[in-house]
Amino acid sequence: MTELLVQQLVNWITLGCIYALLAIGFSLIFGVLNVIHFSHGDVAMTAPFITLALAQALATALGASGTIWLLAAAPLAVLAVGLIGVLLDRLVIRRFRDAPAMMALVATVALGIVIRELIRHVYPQGSNPHAFPRLVSGMAFEIVGVPVSWFALLVVFLTVALVAALFFFLRMTPLGLRIRAASEDRVVARMMGIHDSRVFRATFFIASAIGAIAGLLFASYAGVTRFDFGVMAGLLGFSAAVIGGLGSMPGAILGGLIIAGIEVLSQTFVPDGASYRLVFVFLLVIGVLVFRPAGLLGRAVMEKV
Amino acid sequence: MTMSVSSPTPGKGAAGLFTVVSQLCGAAYLYLLLKAAEAWQVVALLALLGLGFYLLEKRASISDYALDSFARVPVLAVATAAIIVLAFPFVVGSNTYILHLLIVAQLYSVLALALNFQLGSANIPNFATGASYGIGAYVSALLAINFGLSFWLTLPIAALAATLFGFIIGIPSMRARDTYLALVTIAFGVVVQQLLNNFTWTGGPNGLVGIPAPSLFGHSFADPLFVFGWKLPSQANFYYLAAALVVVAIVTAHRLHGSRIGLAWNALRADEIAAKAQGINVAWFKVLAFAVDAFLAAFAGTIYAFYVSYISPDNFTFLVSVTIMTMVIVGGMDNIFGVIAGAFLLTILPEKLRAFEDYRLLVFGVVIIGFLMIRPQGLFPQRMRRYGGKP
Repeated sequence: MTELLVQQLVNWITLGCIYALLAIGFSLIFGVLNVIHFSHGDVAMTAPFITLALAQALATALGASGTIWLLAAAPLAVLAVGLIGVLLDRLVIRRFRDAPAMMALVATVALGIVIRELIRHVYPQGSNPHAFPRLVSGMAFEIVGVPVSWFALLVVFLTVALVAALFFFLRMTPLGLRIRAASEDRVVARMMGIHDSRVFRATFFIASAIGAIAGLLFASYAGVTRFDFGVMAGLLGFSAAVIGGLGSMPGAILGGLIIAGIEVLSQTFVPDGASYRLVFVFLLVIGVLVFRPAGLLGRAVMEKV
Repeated sequence: MTMSVSSPTPGKGAAGLFTVVSQLCGAAYLYLLLKAAEAWQVVALLALLGLGFYLLEKRASISDYALDSFARVPVLAVATAAIIVLAFPFVVGSNTYILHLLIVAQLYSVLALALNFQLGSANIPNFATGASYGIGAYVSALLAINFGLSFWLTLPIAALAATLFGFIIGIPSMRARDTYLALVTIAFGVVVQQLLNNFTWTGGPNGLVGIPAPSLFGHSFADPLFVFGWKLPSQANFYYLAAALVVVAIVTAHRLHGSRIGLAWNALRADEIAAKAQGINVAWFKVLAFAVDAFLAAFAGTIYAFYVSYISPDNFTFLVSVTIMTMVIVGGMDNIFGVIAGAFLLTILPEKLRAFEDYRLLVFGVVIIGFLMIRPQGLFPQRMRRYGGKP
């Protein structure tokens, strides 16, 4: 029993970290731009495909094959996805900045369709699932007879490092200060001489790059990637960000852990729970929002007259 | 918005002529779009549509003139529309594919009109219309298959069941708002779809098969329809049934828009606190919007289930709700005609984009984003209320 519990605990933390990284992107973009970027999940899930393509290209160009090329390709893919995020903002999302919220939502859902279809058509055999190997393999150590993989450790380490770096960046650097100022009040920030389109560019780059890391870990965790994984990744990441409270970083992490917790719990303890896991996850989302309408750690919405 | 006082009021004859000719042109355009098979034909027709809206954008007086003309000769306008709708299957003839598209477009018009009460009138996001649609379809199909109930009996029962669901979604809407409310409705939609997908008594992912065709006065809807010696394919039965539902939906929407309820919804959209200060029961009107939406959506769901005689959870996914939402936004929020135009366009367009084969969805996504960017107010933007006064 304890072994099962520990095993599920490891699964929970691994999955929770991945969802938290996805949620951070949603939360960051919403916090700064007040726009829901619903295709964030799809942007994130382009990363495994770009990595696979780059690794393939590197392997054919330089001969030897192996996961080493995958590891070399991954950071490049993360950079590329960050740039894709900036590009999408320039081309599409920026035009919906001042539009009603639902407009941006519908436009980004359509954008998600476009991204998925592009993956399907541009990547060779894009309609089929593609195997995605673990970025690191092997077992690190054992707790009460349960082996803990290097991969789980990598996920936790990356999450902690990214969150710490993001925190440091937002609190300690001039650009971070500008981002926080713009998220507080865009107009006043502009009056203070803050170039807001630069702030938005930086926000999109960071959010998409973090999303790309989450996407790589997601594909690595599942062992496979598919062109339409972005829908579920997006929906779960968005839910995590919302129940945590949009615009709140600790909220996004908390939300990710909660959603992953429900998923793992229902898979472990409920008979046939695997097929009902989404039901439990979204019932919880409804429950949280009924009792905490602005999310768990969100700032309560004040009505100004 | 310019007041229509400045534009010259058309004479009765001119108004009548304009009313008939414009409606015939619209019908002819729809017919050509339905018939178009080659990529260049579709592109040319879309370009024509774009040109039309470009003219409307440049000359706002055209739409004022059109509205004045229709208001001048209302009986003639409605009669022309009725004749066009009734005669359309005769023109289409035995082409069942076109009739199928028209039926689906009409059902989506009803769904879009249903959603318009919330999104258009009251500006409440709702991503659960697809779920209400599914509940309507499943309740009526289960009743018909397991208890042998007739279509006409299952219709009100399914509507009641869905309305109850609407109330249940409506309750969280009293607390959550905007993005948070959007997620609550998305969550409800996913839960319903997943439950349909997992319960054994709903047939699981395989869905329900063998829903019997309805019949009226001994005429089964599965048989071809004979009118004055003309033989119409069996789809024509459902075409007229769906058309009747669209009429019901339009009348409902029109009456609600003109009533105090519609006014209250518009007040909610403008400013919730001001509405509350005016003594409007905000919570009640929000929940009511959800209930009316679910009620109408269930009707569409019932007809859909009996028409295709096979339903599965895949027909009622999150993306269906998003499509309905897009129809309302692209067509024009809170404008009955605009919403129907949006529903027709977005039902027919993906089918016509089959000319682009595999790239269909890609083109569809690009077209939607294009629409939202170029004409964010929708094809036919909402009009100022006239409060019954003479223009």
